[in-house]
Amino acid sequence: MTSRRDFLKTAGVAAGALSLAQLPDWLSGVVAAEEAAANGVDKNALADVALSTARKLGVTYADIRINRYRNESIATRERQVQNVSRSQNFGFGVRVLYKGTWGFASSRDVTPDNVRRITQQAVEIARANSVYQRKRISLVPVEKVVTSWKNAFEKDPFEVSIDDKIQFLLALNQSAMKTQGVSFVSSSMGFVNEQKFYASTDGSRIEQYIVRANPSFNVTAVNRSTGDFQTRSSLGGPQGMGYEYIEKHDWKREAQQAGEEAVMKLKAKPVEPGKYDLVLHPSHLWLTIHESVGHPTELDRALWWEANYAGTSFITPEKLGKLQFASKIVNFVADRTQPAGLATVGYDDEGVPGQRWHLIKDGIFVDWQTTRDLAAMTGQKKSYGCNHGDSWGSISFPRMPNVSLQPGSDNTSLDDLIAGVEKGILIYGDGSYSIDQQRYNFQFGGQVFWEIKNGKRGEMLRDVAYQSRTTDFWNSLDALGGEAGYELGGSFSDGKGEPGQSNAVSHGCPPARFRQTNVLNTARAS
Amino acid sequence: MLLTEKDARAICDKLLSYVKADDASVAVTSENYGHLRFAGNAFTTSGARENVSVGVTVWIDKKRGAASTNEIDDESLKATVALAEQLARVSPVDREYLPTLAQQTYKPVNGYADATSNISVTSRAKTINDVITACEKAKVVGAGFHQARGTAGASATKNGNFIYERSSLVSLSTTARTPDGTSSGYFLRNHFDVAKLDTARVANEAIRKALEARNPRVLEPGVYPAILEPQAVADLLSFFAFTFDARNAEEGRSPFSAPGGKTKLGEKIFDERINIYSDPWHPELPGSRAAQGGMPAQKIYLVRNGVLENLVYSRYWAKEKGKEPTPGPVNNILESSQAPVTIDEMIKSMDRGLLLGRFWYIRGVDPRIALQTGLTRDGIWYIEKGKIQYPVKNFRFNQSLIELLAPDNVDLIGKPERVGNSEGQGGNAALLPALKVKKFHFSSQSEAV
Repeated sequence: MTSRRDFLKTAGVAAGALSLAQLPDWLSGVVAAEEAAANGVDKNALADVALSTARKLGVTYADIRINRYRNESIATRERQVQNVSRSQNFGFGVRVLYKGTWGFASSRDVTPDNVRRITQQAVEIARANSVYQRKRISLVPVEKVVTSWKNAFEKDPFEVSIDDKIQFLLALNQSAMKTQGVSFVSSSMGFVNEQKFYASTDGSRIEQYIVRANPSFNVTAVNRSTGDFQTRSSLGGPQGMGYEYIEKHDWKREAQQAGEEAVMKLKAKPVEPGKYDLVLHPSHLWLTIHESVGHPTELDRALWWEANYAGTSFITPEKLGKLQFASKIVNFVADRTQPAGLATVGYDDEGVPGQRWHLIKDGIFVDWQTTRDLAAMTGQKKSYGCNHGDSWGSISFPRMPNVSLQPGSDNTSLDDLIAGVEKGILIYGDGSYSIDQQRYNFQFGGQVFWEIKNGKRGEMLRDVAYQSRTTDFWNSLDALGGEAGYELGGSFSDGKGEPGQSNAVSHGCPPARFRQTNVLNTARAS
Repeated sequence: MLLTEKDARAICDKLLSYVKADDASVAVTSENYGHLRFAGNAFTTSGARENVSVGVTVWIDKKRGAASTNEIDDESLKATVALAEQLARVSPVDREYLPTLAQQTYKPVNGYADATSNISVTSRAKTINDVITACEKAKVVGAGFHQARGTAGASATKNGNFIYERSSLVSLSTTARTPDGTSSGYFLRNHFDVAKLDTARVANEAIRKALEARNPRVLEPGVYPAILEPQAVADLLSFFAFTFDARNAEEGRSPFSAPGGKTKLGEKIFDERINIYSDPWHPELPGSRAAQGGMPAQKIYLVRNGVLENLVYSRYWAKEKGKEPTPGPVNNILESSQAPVTIDEMIKSMDRGLLLGRFWYIRGVDPRIALQTGLTRDGIWYIEKGKIQYPVKNFRFNQSLIELLAPDNVDLIGKPERVGNSEGQGGNAALLPALKVKKFHFSSQSEAV
């Protein structure tokens, strides 16, 4: 933990001319007061203005989120730096529930007069729509909370020098280029810091400070004589961690391996289409979990709230507690408390604490991802805390928590899983992905594919993608790796909603084995 | 409130006055945004956002740094310039640096309507009530999304260029589903002028499709002749004009690369009736006056009569290769050299095939041939002997875009319509026609509705 004095000192050096308003709000009320004095932003006083204005205008609920977001991005290719940038934005949004109808308004101009005006605008929008409202929205209750929270990172990436980061990426590129035949490499690292303040008519006041890291690279090998090219992207995904994530993972070794594998892919054996047993590494399987387990268990989809865009869900409400979603050894847990999880929070954006609960238990679908309005619609007594807005300017709505496949109880290794396969494919890394709007039919590619023959890893394959139906696929899972093989993958920018919003979310899993899945050769698919 | 030209110029001037770096490019953008969403024949979320953002890019000894903020008081603007300069000082030399442009001359474009930017929340509520009422009358369950945006902003360079632009966009999409969830229809349109957005057509078409797609039959996946409505073409091709990058092609990693380190420039790779071009002054699809780096945009052909006529050279790559940088594309128009054919005429001319209204979740699979995978969604019909016979269940496809438009695959081409990509929520626009093609590759069935 950084002391307040150390933080002030290092933030001043690292951030240069950035204002005091960027200081983490979790530090103390004293800092909040200093900040208020420095730039006139007193979040508690602004919240009082918004909530009292909303109450006077007859709302049944109101909240205000006053948030600052900092982003840093560094991008390189080969021996060049392509971009070094930092951005920040600050603003507030007021959400009101008036006669069972949501209204929201937001602005970058964070002053008491403007907070009053924007609150009035949010109510005007709700009022205009409420004239025609057919189904009134209500909320399940939540306990009042006054607190602060920060995620568990060790090294604030915004305090690490830009030069160190650039040298790191250029050295990574050099590692990737060591293999003869590598033509191009690009690499980047991005960091996000969210400083969030939430206050509501329930009486809650919550401040949160969150840091996330997103390193990645991509290697390309080109065979100019044939016009062929192949790529290999990084296997390590983003994490809800600080700069320690960059330092702990051996990125240079992986980059060198990626270079070797990109070149190997040019000469790899094209896959013969057909049925194969699949052994899926966590660097690949996280994305299949995200698309085929994470999204269909969102309650807003099941209630057709996303019918116009992301789609509905093949899991309909009456399937709760009945659907054999997966084989009996499969357990999926939703968890907003998981260390290093991208969707890990202290509280969601409507004051509900982060929680952990089963979505799939012993293969049966047992619960949904919920928010306060969705829970009320379906007669539940509490929300699981999945409400999130990606900016002060975005209305918060249901978003995915970390959803993870629990490891098996024994010490089954990747090699053990391979040993049980006569004819199969081992897949590393996420590649092309596509799934229908009810989450039945999917197709996934990958980064690196190895043939499995008679229980052993064989030659490298290329042009592999598998297609399946969600419940067929998860019911074909017959073996799970143990805890030692559990890894966390994830996405920095999962899109959903209208207007589209981005959500960072993690998915953990061990390696797993799936029987008799349909594999196609993508080079011969069209 | 959107920034006026005077206000935007004042912010740009202020930012440039703080710059100590050798070169700089600054930009300011203001935005008014509003949305209304409905589902289950009821209002769900609705909101508004006002924002102003400022971006600064500087070069010191050819070293680049960039910073942005949405706080526009003098201290914050100074701090943002100082941060960009701090980042530039610690960065290596930007080998792709080119001096920013001096003052350019731009021909005006009209893509802004004040009524779109300042949309009335009461009239919007009534519009959506009318859509929901139409759904209720037809006994379908409606969901949809209305959004309206106005933007005004400017960019300026230390070398003297300045450009101010305003634009607006309004879109409405509607999905109608039968209450039993076995059929679904979708329609989307957008425009820069709210007065020209036919919201009743959007609702009625979505409802018609949902009703006509009831009781779909199962058809085996495989290769079928197909008619793609403009929406389906937009879902596949709305960004196609922006993929003609010369550097990627010359580096050997593009569908426009050729063996031996060459490109396919000058080759007839598409049907000879196909023209793909960008035109900032098209009255239905006004584009930005400024192309890459602030260059004045021009009308440019990427494909003319099926021949790959231009690849797009960035300012840097053009200098490396001794070429002229390409002043576009700033929009995407595909049209036939011959008289357009209506969808009804396409259906009448079809012996056996499928009518496709929309695609979904399209992702690249193999960049060498622009192979895309995705699914049909919200209505697909079987045609035989010139007539629609019955709706069918959805498919997954794996289709190369190069092969889709190839000389031996395109049969008939319709009249271009202003359409938005459905996965992009209608927030972008292109002018694209219906297409009748001889082969479209479906690889598996999808039960999804």
